[in-house]
Amino acid sequence: MPDWGSPVSQAKTSSAGVMGRGPGFWGGLMLGVYGIVAGLGMTGAVDGAPLYLLIILPFALVMPMITAANRRSAAAASGCLAKGEAQRRYMKRVALFSFLYLVVLGVMTFVLNGSDPYPALRVFLALPPGLAVIGIFWAIGRLMVEEEDEFLRMLVVRQSIIATGFALSAATIWGFLESAEIVFHLDAYWWAVAWFFGLGIGAAANRVRYGAWGAV
Amino acid sequence: MKNRLKVLRAERDWSQQELASRLAVSRQSVNAIETGKYDPSLPLAFKIADVFGLTIEDIFQRD
Repeated sequence: MPDWGSPVSQAKTSSAGVMGRGPGFWGGLMLGVYGIVAGLGMTGAVDGAPLYLLIILPFALVMPMITAANRRSAAAASGCLAKGEAQRRYMKRVALFSFLYLVVLGVMTFVLNGSDPYPALRVFLALPPGLAVIGIFWAIGRLMVEEEDEFLRMLVVRQSIIATGFALSAATIWGFLESAEIVFHLDAYWWAVAWFFGLGIGAAANRVRYGAWGAV
Repeated sequence: MKNRLKVLRAERDWSQQELASRLAVSRQSVNAIETGKYDPSLPLAFKIADVFGLTIEDIFQRD
């Protein structure tokens, strides 16, 4: 029989984390570092490429934060699938691709602003940020494939359908308004942003309908 | 679809978490099924019936 919340499992819950620290510590540390970086940026003490590097690096603290949260969840669940393995892998994949996105976006921005490279090099610089975002789409697809809990899988699928409907509708309406010169031009990658925003709407819809947010 | 999950669980003094572990699903799943917000698939319904040692018809009824 599994151990349902015995003193031993409760002790595990309180000590689980990364280097003895919980997700709150790592999240707080990241926010604190970002506060210092924001101060440096606003006062002009650091700017340009070094500032962008300082913005990217603290994001690495997301990894110990996620790991600590997963360990806490696993210890608290004591064998139950409170946060499944598929969701843990999903969170790690999203964190990794988000970090890569920030890095390659920074490289593209600084190289294109600082020089006028050949078209072939422009392609080489412009593709990686898009590929990093595709990586996040892939992570969501893998979550649907790997999630073994049918209810949680249904929530993710529902969220994604709502997000797709929202993003395609917004893109269509905006496109016609743009053709009629009512609104300004919007670069196409903003529809990926609209889709991610749609995931948030889908999560809220899940919460209202099923009492659970879903995994995304 | 109506179900007797909450009553059956109470008879055995199981928490939602404990039933979730026995079914190898999340606690949210048990809660959604128990409150009638989500109807389980046939394989999960059979699994629930097995855990309680009953038939599907003993647990789930038409509205």
